[in-house]
Amino acid sequence: MLTKKQKTFNWILIIFLLALSVFFLFPVIWMLANSFKSDAAITADMSSLAAFIPPALKGNYFENYITILTDTNFLRYMLNTLFYAAVLIVLGIVVNGLAGYALAKIKFPFRERWLLIIMMLLIVPTETVITIHFLIIAKVGLLNTVLGYILPMIVNPFNIFLFRQVFVSLPDDIYEAAQLDFCGPVKYFFTMVLPMSKTVVATVSVFTFLGVWNDYLWPSLVFTSSDLLTAQIGLNSITSNDNTTMGQVLAVITLITIPVMIIYALFSKQIVEGVTSTGSKEG
Amino acid sequence: MKKKESILGMAFFGPALILLTLFLFLPMVLTLIFSFTDYFALNPDMTSFVGLKNYVNIFKDELFLKAFFNTVKFVLIIVPCQCIGALLLALGINKVTHCKKYFKVAFFIPVVMSLAVVSTLWMDIYSPEGILNTMLSQIGIDAQPFIHSAKQALPSIAVMSIWQGVGYQMIIFLGGLQNINPALYEAAELDHASAWQKFKDITLPELKPLCVFVFITVTIGAFRMLVQPMVMTGGGPDHSTYTLVYDIYETGTMNWEMGLASTMAIVFTVFVVILTIIQNVLTKGKGDKHVNKKAKNI
Amino acid sequence: MAFIEFKNIGKKYAGAERKSVDDFNLEINEKEFIAFVGPSGCGKSTTLRMIAGFEEITEGELYIDGKKVNEVAPRDRGIAMVFQNYALYPHMTVEKNIGYGLKNMKMPADQIKKKVDWAIDILGLQEYRNRKPKNLSGGQRQRVALGRAIVKNQKVFLMDEPLSNLDAKLRVSMRTEISKLHRELGATTIYVTHDQVEAMTMADRIVIMKDGVIQQVGKPMELYDHPVNKFVAGFIGSPQMNLFDVTVKGDKITFADGNTFPLSESVVKKLNGKEGEMILGIRGEDLKMDASNLELYSESRQKAVITDTEVMGNENNLYFQFGGCQAVARVSKYEISQVGDEIEFVFVPSKMHFFDKDTEMNYM
Repeated sequence: MLTKKQKTFNWILIIFLLALSVFFLFPVIWMLANSFKSDAAITADMSSLAAFIPPALKGNYFENYITILTDTNFLRYMLNTLFYAAVLIVLGIVVNGLAGYALAKIKFPFRERWLLIIMMLLIVPTETVITIHFLIIAKVGLLNTVLGYILPMIVNPFNIFLFRQVFVSLPDDIYEAAQLDFCGPVKYFFTMVLPMSKTVVATVSVFTFLGVWNDYLWPSLVFTSSDLLTAQIGLNSITSNDNTTMGQVLAVITLITIPVMIIYALFSKQIVEGVTSTGSKEG
Repeated sequence: MKKKESILGMAFFGPALILLTLFLFLPMVLTLIFSFTDYFALNPDMTSFVGLKNYVNIFKDELFLKAFFNTVKFVLIIVPCQCIGALLLALGINKVTHCKKYFKVAFFIPVVMSLAVVSTLWMDIYSPEGILNTMLSQIGIDAQPFIHSAKQALPSIAVMSIWQGVGYQMIIFLGGLQNINPALYEAAELDHASAWQKFKDITLPELKPLCVFVFITVTIGAFRMLVQPMVMTGGGPDHSTYTLVYDIYETGTMNWEMGLASTMAIVFTVFVVILTIIQNVLTKGKGDKHVNKKAKNI
Repeated sequence: MAFIEFKNIGKKYAGAERKSVDDFNLEINEKEFIAFVGPSGCGKSTTLRMIAGFEEITEGELYIDGKKVNEVAPRDRGIAMVFQNYALYPHMTVEKNIGYGLKNMKMPADQIKKKVDWAIDILGLQEYRNRKPKNLSGGQRQRVALGRAIVKNQKVFLMDEPLSNLDAKLRVSMRTEISKLHRELGATTIYVTHDQVEAMTMADRIVIMKDGVIQQVGKPMELYDHPVNKFVAGFIGSPQMNLFDVTVKGDKITFADGNTFPLSESVVKKLNGKEGEMILGIRGEDLKMDASNLELYSESRQKAVITDTEVMGNENNLYFQFGGCQAVARVSKYEISQVGDEIEFVFVPSKMHFFDKDTEMNYM
């Protein structure tokens, strides 16, 4: 129950937050609205409210998008990135999941020690080792290859830890029952453990996707060939081209943002859970 | 049977262990070793052991010092704004009765956008004839150079980073607020506590471990500042947005001076590790004591 | 030759001070229904899990169907098991749960279907075959767990407290159902429970355990009528057997509260000269208070005042203070008494058990 005073305060707060959110989102709104405009129109609209309103739907409405998708390699970069993300999601779940399962349920030498080491690895910032990754990949001649890009990204101590935390609470008797049903440990992992842990699998998949899709530093180091670039690096090569108009740049960054927005819309629950779990683990 | 289980465990853990060794343990060891050498990647045969020379030299290197102080500036601007901003947003959103869902989404949207996209977008927004300057001129403020001046570039990038990141910590705080037992507030209400007292005596203490966590993660995040200046200013103008990690990156992968880059990386890692240890010391154990004390008070 | 044979089986967990199971010797015949019963921590579940192969056997040898299985993997021991918490696969339907083992045995799909249908029919799960475990009641889950065990045609069934999570009424009906299944399928069954009623009603033979050691093995009525020690006497039967501290001298028995009566000749003979402090055990139904028995055993006639009654309908339990402790008599429904009534009762001599004060072993 709210008193009258609290009710008034509540509405003032809502109005304030609404205004704040509009102001907060103005860059995103501006990006969307102007991605449909020619540079002349963008400049013309700049000083009025029209700057935040998409143009009327007519004729060459999608021209910027069409130019980007047909005249540049950008579509290819997006598909590249989707492919890398898919591969890394599958490999990441297998490698990190198996490791997490071993740390949770299988007694092997130094298990507790390994778990401690994994937890300590969480502290090490990736920037520390990225130059050495570059050196290693260059030394084995994998620069500018898909394999060279993917290899260092598969293993992720945080995901191992996340999997381990979830798997540890799976009941042991299900494993015993499966053994009597002639289900071996590998099969058990893939047909029982993963399906029983859908939430964490989804969370890891979503965060892997966002990580791969949004990553900038590592692909910018590994890739030089324009055939293999990811969307984020492709963005760089398109914006640095003098012929690209502002409207086209806005169309590109809108295009890059669409998939993450879709993922966010579909999996916001997993994302929020993943974010809060990083906090609650520490807190 | 025990032996079989050990083998199974190693088989499951093995793939991860191999990759961890190649891409975490080995790089860490190499970084440490390189930091005591003058390893030059284009001419590795000439490498020799130089002891602590790198560690002394980097602190004499003007560019490194500049990068270091720029990073500290970033931290000093971003950390308080982003932490307090996130907390205030979370408190507000937790309080209101309507539009909760919309607010959560709206303030979180920039988080899922990539650093490169956000940086590219804000380059346009900050441009001299850009939308921000146009809006400022409408309310009678002169055009600002923003990222094109050595004075304003760093704060401009910091503001953008806060804009992008604040939603993440907001969600963390919201999670923490929802975990507070509502009975505490009801009990306080019956004890005639004012709104401010409830905030001071219940909300803040309950959120304290989370506050420490957010404070440290934002600090570490600001410490790692790289992509934004890389995309927007290339570290300029006049190296005014050149950061620690930027220096590591350029020294290692552009100039190929792995020895020096490794030394910087070690210094950087030490900072991050110290911050993490501080966080652990501040949160471990104290949380429980706190809850008990609270329980007695109410 | 025994179908399952335990030879000096022992289990000691690493770092534990005493053995969880010690020198366990037992032979189980084919098609037998054996119950392991005892208080929690007595080692019954550990023993069962050693048969299944989930716990390592640290001492002794275990044979199933003539083959030593100490080192054999659980899946190759020819066993099926019903778990206490059912251990159903949460993401599979009832049908898939039951057929999963057959699928892994590479049985052709049409045969699997036939088998699963058969199990679903027997267990009355027709309506639920496409449901997932979380949408089933406890009793239905229990049936699925049973179904999963029976389709595989294994020779040995292991059941680990399968009914402990069900409510009392369901437990009784599942009891008869499991017995019926056992009669129809004829698989050798080892059933672990802490509930002596389950063991008594279902098992061909009962193994009573305490602190990792077998106390007694026998048919239900053997255990009931001839408990080898005070523990078995107290554990089997409800209400619990009355246990009095007594002193015997010659043919005179004296209770802690001073009551005394002469023992009949047959009892003295059975005591075979043993005298002094000992424990007298007698079941509630062997304290008689009907006229003919009062007449028959009049030498042991005693009086007491009822402090509490338990009315069951078919029979009633009367509680009273006697011999320095609370005693119970079990009487037919025609002998109703009220709290506060004074009753007269006698001890049936042939049903009296005497246990050694120190070793707690039965003298007879």
